[in-house]
Amino acid sequence: MSVVITPTMVVQVVISGLLAGALYAMVALGLALIFGVMRVINVAHGTIMMLGAYTTFWWFHLLGVNPYVSLLASMPLLFLVGAILQRTLVARVVDAPELSSLLLTFGISIALVNLAQLGFTSDLRSVEFLTGAFLVGPFAFSKARLVSFAFAVAITLLAYWFLQRTKLGKAIRATSQSSEVAMICGINVGRIHLYTFGIASALAAAGGSLVAVILAIQPEMGQVFTFKSFLVIVLGGAGNYPGALLGGMLLGLVEQLSSLFLTTQLSEAVAYVLLVLVLLLRPTGLLGGRAR
Amino acid sequence: MRDGPILEIRDVTKRFGGVTAVNRCSLAVAPGKIYGLIGPNGSGKTTLFNCITGLEPRDEGEIRFKGERIDGLKPYAVARRGIGRTFQIIRVFPELTALENLLVVTREPFEVASGRAQELLRFVTLDRLQQEYAGNLSYGQQKLLEFVRVLMPDPELILLDEPAAGVNRTLLNELLAAITRLRDQGKTILIVEHDMKVVMGLCETVFVLDYGEKIAEGPPQVIQADPRVIEAYFGR
Amino acid sequence: MKRAFLLGLGVALLALALYPLVATGYGIRFMLQLFMWVALAQSWNLMSGLTGYVSFGHVAFFGTGAYAAAILVTTHGWHWGPASLAGGVAAMLLALIIGYPCLRLKGPYFAISMLGLNEVMRVLVSYFEGLTGGGLGLSLPTLHASVQIYYTMGLAAVAVTAAAYFIITSRFGLRLMTIREDEIAAEAMGIDTARHKLYAFLLSAFVPGVVGGFFARDTGYIEPIAVFPLFYTITMIVMALFGGKGTIWGPVLGAVALFVLQELVWARFLYLHQLLFGAIIVLVVLAMPRGILGVLQERYRLPRTL
Repeated sequence: MSVVITPTMVVQVVISGLLAGALYAMVALGLALIFGVMRVINVAHGTIMMLGAYTTFWWFHLLGVNPYVSLLASMPLLFLVGAILQRTLVARVVDAPELSSLLLTFGISIALVNLAQLGFTSDLRSVEFLTGAFLVGPFAFSKARLVSFAFAVAITLLAYWFLQRTKLGKAIRATSQSSEVAMICGINVGRIHLYTFGIASALAAAGGSLVAVILAIQPEMGQVFTFKSFLVIVLGGAGNYPGALLGGMLLGLVEQLSSLFLTTQLSEAVAYVLLVLVLLLRPTGLLGGRAR
Repeated sequence: MRDGPILEIRDVTKRFGGVTAVNRCSLAVAPGKIYGLIGPNGSGKTTLFNCITGLEPRDEGEIRFKGERIDGLKPYAVARRGIGRTFQIIRVFPELTALENLLVVTREPFEVASGRAQELLRFVTLDRLQQEYAGNLSYGQQKLLEFVRVLMPDPELILLDEPAAGVNRTLLNELLAAITRLRDQGKTILIVEHDMKVVMGLCETVFVLDYGEKIAEGPPQVIQADPRVIEAYFGR
Repeated sequence: MKRAFLLGLGVALLALALYPLVATGYGIRFMLQLFMWVALAQSWNLMSGLTGYVSFGHVAFFGTGAYAAAILVTTHGWHWGPASLAGGVAAMLLALIIGYPCLRLKGPYFAISMLGLNEVMRVLVSYFEGLTGGGLGLSLPTLHASVQIYYTMGLAAVAVTAAAYFIITSRFGLRLMTIREDEIAAEAMGIDTARHKLYAFLLSAFVPGVVGGFFARDTGYIEPIAVFPLFYTITMIVMALFGGKGTIWGPVLGAVALFVLQELVWARFLYLHQLLFGAIIVLVVLAMPRGILGVLQERYRLPRTL
């Protein structure tokens, strides 16, 4: 490593990290919701994100319309897919040991990935829409990443507003505190599960759509995002929804910084090492959450 | 019989985020007696049990068993010191047979353990169901199974969390008789219970918790008449 | 009943031992791979079937063993037999390093932490090119040892199934199962669940490591993608689930059934095949959580330790 690392590079990388972090946070929020409300770890979360990415790809490829507009298609579409999956499959194991839902969503994930392989082939796809970068002083920011960042922030804020202010959002939060209490309050827990899974899927889909303009799209792209979403939740503390925001930022930062100091190859392993470290040192998350 | 309390809790505090579930709680349990731990819902009784057994680490305070500190020990270590505990919701091992549920908690040689397990099962008339999966037993049968399971490691101090919950009269009388017999054998028992008849009839001393604090302590008749206790349950 | 079973087992083992005398090259390769899958599925079962802690990254042990053995053979001239055993030890070491922090987590958290493991191993192996040949892979000196590997793979399958037998019929095995049934109650009853989980994990990592070494010798060439594919973990899991996790013969049954399916379908329809596996997992979880063996056990009141 004989490259000189200038402060400019560090700042650039820090900002890149924050840009990526918002995306991680948004997708992780979805996973956190499912886990918080249903105690289900949705291993298929990244796979749904992948489907969102493909939705955007086909939208752009077939219609030639701005891929960011495809959010209006991918989010409702995957909301529906998520809701159907929940109602037909996941709902059956909500009361079973956690092992069951884990294996179930794992199976769903494999099935969906291979459906995508069969339908879309494993050829790498990309959405070439916003190329080039904004130049601000000594810094260069990829246009696509900036715009995706902006959308991610907007959608995440919308999601938080929804959780805090709307009746359904509050019901979701109540159910994630205690489903017994929620039932006593007259909340239809089954329907909450349905909506939560749908909303989480929509968030994942949004992540997929926004990432479609940045990364190469292929059927197996989702797995790493499932893992990273999980890492974000561990960082922020399980059940701590605002924590997911911070966790996402932190992950983005750590990744970008490590790509500066390590080779790109190794930086892929950084997320994993980070996970193990956090688990060893602060298993309840950096901001503290539920330990169980 | 040794001198001094078998269990001592000093200024134990446990917080969950903004909620203080147990607040500077102190109590002492003398060996060979039956104690009750009562209080309105949410007064911290089960949390206190969890702190004693190591399931939840306490934030402040000390817990001593037979004079030695046990706070900070992992649950299995606390159990091995001689403290047994049942749960509010029954926690038998469903896919193990009734017999296996008992065998698995002890490290004694198979013959010895098997003999004792059979005896305990006979004691609660579950011996003919010993090869049945615990998950297939009825609620009452599972309750009995959990009760004898806690006795398998022969603990000195037994914490019972709502042993009367959901149990019919006949079964309850059997359980109460069993608990009294255990006390006569020299064991110490601490019971969390909502059923006042059980508490008043069985316990020699009763602790009352409210909002995580001990607000009263004494024989059942005294506690019943204590204005603070009455206020905690009915007042405000 | 039991005697008839043992007799049948003895005959089967004898037949398998004599098979190479009459088999074709294809037949030997077929059985060799079948043994490998039995060994892998059974190993996964030792951990995940008994303790309920799902290991989504188990192929990492296979790959680690493959590389450890291959490096010993190519760089240090070891014989592939001991090298494979060393591969098993290497896998156990990995299990220790990963298991110690990750097993502290509750089951689902552990599972996800294992999800990333094989990717990390792949990355690490690619990075340390000097040692492992990186993306170019590692070639072993040419050696035709199919028959010997047939026997060693068979031995591995028998060994791990025997281990399963001894564990499941012992109190150690019962204690492992209490972790699956109710970990909190198990702790409250004096069982050191952390230690038990670690033991099970280490045990479950050994044979995949050894088998990875055999695999490396057999194929003569390994590269990161070949020995760390998620598909292998998926296959192990499906086999154990389908046959019946937590039982002795379940993984064997599942491996035989699904390997045959694999030979028929996979060769030409890889994605369809994996899709089927995903669907089978979903089906098993929803309809027969204890696998085929579980269904049979219910129907015919068979003993749990089967």
